Amino acid sequence: MTDDRSVRDGGTLTVALNSDPDKLDPTLAQTLVGRTVFAGMCEKLYDIDEDGTVVPQLAASLPDTSADGRTVTFRVRPGAKFSDGTALDAEAVVTSLLRHRDLPGSARGTELAPVRKAEATGPLTVRLTLDHAYVPLTGVLADRAGMVMSPTALKKYGKNFTNHPSCVGPFRFVERVGGDRIVLKKDPNYYDADRVHLDGVVYKPIPDGNVRLANLRSGDLQVGDQMAPVDVRSALTEPKLQLFNSPSLGYQGIGLNVGNVKGLGEQPGKIDTPIARDVRVREAFELAIDRELLNKVVFQGMYEPACGPISPQSAIAPGIRPQDCPRRDVDRAKELLEEAGVRTPVKIELKTSTTPEQGRVGQVLQAMVKEAGFELSLRPTEYATMLAETDAGDYDVFTSGWSGRLDPDGNVSNFLKTAGAMNAYGLGDPEIDKLIAEGRSVADPARRTEIYDRLTRRVQDAHALIYLYRQKNYVVAGKDVAGLHVYGDGLIRVKNAGYTR
Amino acid sequence: MTKYLLTRLRQSLITLFLVSVVVFAGIRALPGDPALALAGEERSPEALAAVRESYGLDDNVVVQYGRFIGHALTGDLGTSSRTGLPVADAIGQALPVTLELAALSLLLAIVVGIGAGVVAAVRRGRPEEWIANAIALIGLSIPTFWLGIVLVLGFAIAVPVFAASGYVPFGTDPVDNLRRMVLPAIVLGSGLAAVVMRQTRAAMLDSLSADYVRTARAKGLSQSSVVGGHALRNSLVTVVTVLGLQLGHLISGAVVTEQIFVLPGFGKLTIDAVFTRDYATLQAVVLCTSAAYILINLLVDVVYSVIDPRIRLGGAR
Repeated sequence: MTDDRSVRDGGTLTVALNSDPDKLDPTLAQTLVGRTVFAGMCEKLYDIDEDGTVVPQLAASLPDTSADGRTVTFRVRPGAKFSDGTALDAEAVVTSLLRHRDLPGSARGTELAPVRKAEATGPLTVRLTLDHAYVPLTGVLADRAGMVMSPTALKKYGKNFTNHPSCVGPFRFVERVGGDRIVLKKDPNYYDADRVHLDGVVYKPIPDGNVRLANLRSGDLQVGDQMAPVDVRSALTEPKLQLFNSPSLGYQGIGLNVGNVKGLGEQPGKIDTPIARDVRVREAFELAIDRELLNKVVFQGMYEPACGPISPQSAIAPGIRPQDCPRRDVDRAKELLEEAGVRTPVKIELKTSTTPEQGRVGQVLQAMVKEAGFELSLRPTEYATMLAETDAGDYDVFTSGWSGRLDPDGNVSNFLKTAGAMNAYGLGDPEIDKLIAEGRSVADPARRTEIYDRLTRRVQDAHALIYLYRQKNYVVAGKDVAGLHVYGDGLIRVKNAGYTR
Repeated sequence: MTKYLLTRLRQSLITLFLVSVVVFAGIRALPGDPALALAGEERSPEALAAVRESYGLDDNVVVQYGRFIGHALTGDLGTSSRTGLPVADAIGQALPVTLELAALSLLLAIVVGIGAGVVAAVRRGRPEEWIANAIALIGLSIPTFWLGIVLVLGFAIAVPVFAASGYVPFGTDPVDNLRRMVLPAIVLGSGLAAVVMRQTRAAMLDSLSADYVRTARAKGLSQSSVVGGHALRNSLVTVVTVLGLQLGHLISGAVVTEQIFVLPGFGKLTIDAVFTRDYATLQAVVLCTSAAYILINLLVDVVYSVIDPRIRLGGAR
């Protein structure tokens, strides 16, 4: 969503984030909120536009892929400079890509693993040689793996780049006070500096939604990121504030432990609980849930019901729209439990995070599945503890969500592949594995859509990850701020922002 | 006096050492891997392993403790596993904020609390006492978070006299600094002021009925001299004790206050560190807070011995 009223030059914008970002090093960064800060200072080879389509940013054009899908060539934007004055060229891109792939502790390593070789074949031409056809690559290069870091700064600071980040972007890094603020100011070296209006941007972590809203009202903040529906509702009554939203590429749901006995990345084993033993019990559980009602009760209808890993927002979206999700059917659920021969009520524990919203999700689910014969107990668990426990397989059901990736592969492979890096459910299905592999290697969008459609249905039938809803990214901003761009990746783009005349 | 101080100092150092052991063990007893807390939703096994290795989390706990203490003694508090910034810098930035907040709150508590306490004692049985008591009761009962939000709504949004959040160092802009610090200081100081008021009132009532006050009055001293010079001075020992004990509340209360007003102080640093299992920051913060606590207790003891020499003599024996 964009706002294109004309703006005047000058001024500083203060943006509230819902938590403090981690390292400001594109190779090591792992948090969602960090991506918002990068959006102000580190451009990527590719970006997405308002419609979710990939467009060139630091690359001069979309990549050329060879017929076998194993050689990818692209040109780099001419005349661009990093914030420290170093010129952007093909060598710089290669240096960054290899660092992303190889640096110990890199959070980009897995995404770039198929890249065997990266070389500069001309001053502005980069050629990548892949181990196998890897269609999600362009989507990957439209995220942090596509951020190019100044080779001069990398050489000078090494691992300490995080305290002196230097990229190509509308704003350059000035200072960071941990837990308090990250300050950026306009970069005169930026190739498109004429269209940057603000003098600077300050990002402030403010975890509490009430406090964020109070500060937006008082005018101490101009933009609030990731606002919860309840805060959005009350912000709407404020004449000084405006609302932006974009559908998310991610999903929220619940994960059922169907075979995680040895922890993440291990082969699934047998678990002797009714929900793990019998798929009919899991189907009954899902049939007892009313997604529309959940959305209405907990999120004031401001999110979207969902029943698959890939958002309708995605460029390659299978044909399962929110309205096609399975309807609640308590009678059928009861029948299934009877067929499965389990003693009712079936006792299940749901681990939720400790946020009020997740608590309410748990309570609503508890009430819904009770009617079908489940006794759902809730265990709110602090985030890091929940991750540790669910990764280890120490749970029945937990709330499981993902912020989403541009390419559908980013929403399925790690989660659903047998022994996948984030398959905490212990799901192991050769058919799903096959579809994931196909989806990564087939270039034709129409065929990919078909593959992901089949994959979605197969995942639905397994009932190991029950998708419930998709969040929307809500951004609240002062009415005097224009030129903000909020797209499907949920990031706030401040490049063209400014104060209205 | 010197001997007394040395004894107290030695005790303090032993306490600090014990605290460091408990803190270190306690943090590691928390469930949840710091690498996981850091990685959040994106957790590739390779990245997790690298994080663990780079912060030495795979080592034996005793080795980790030795390294921590060794570095701490040389002034190196480590690097935050979350931001990659030096912990000493983070503390250096957070400390002035919390100290200023605590100092302002303390000032408020002393001025308002002692003032109201004296008034309530002197005007016993009159409306003034009733009002002072009611205010103290309210001050004690209101939850910090609620009071904070109400003050923000009232004095930062409806009537924008003060700012709703943020911190500007006093040296940079004193007016803006106070504009941002007054509301948090009221929130944090209100409970303490109430406690001080009640203690002052009780102690003053005792003093005012004591023989020496009657003697002072009989000598024809003025009311202000009797109240200020005799009764209040003798009541202060109790009040200082309470203030000392309550300073701990200021530090812990700052955690909530700093969250409401988005002040980048110790409290906020601590909360962030807990949720991200940022061991290095958490250890350093808790250790510094403990050191401050111990130091305050030491100071309170010293102040005692200045106000009432009998305490010093007792301690030195």
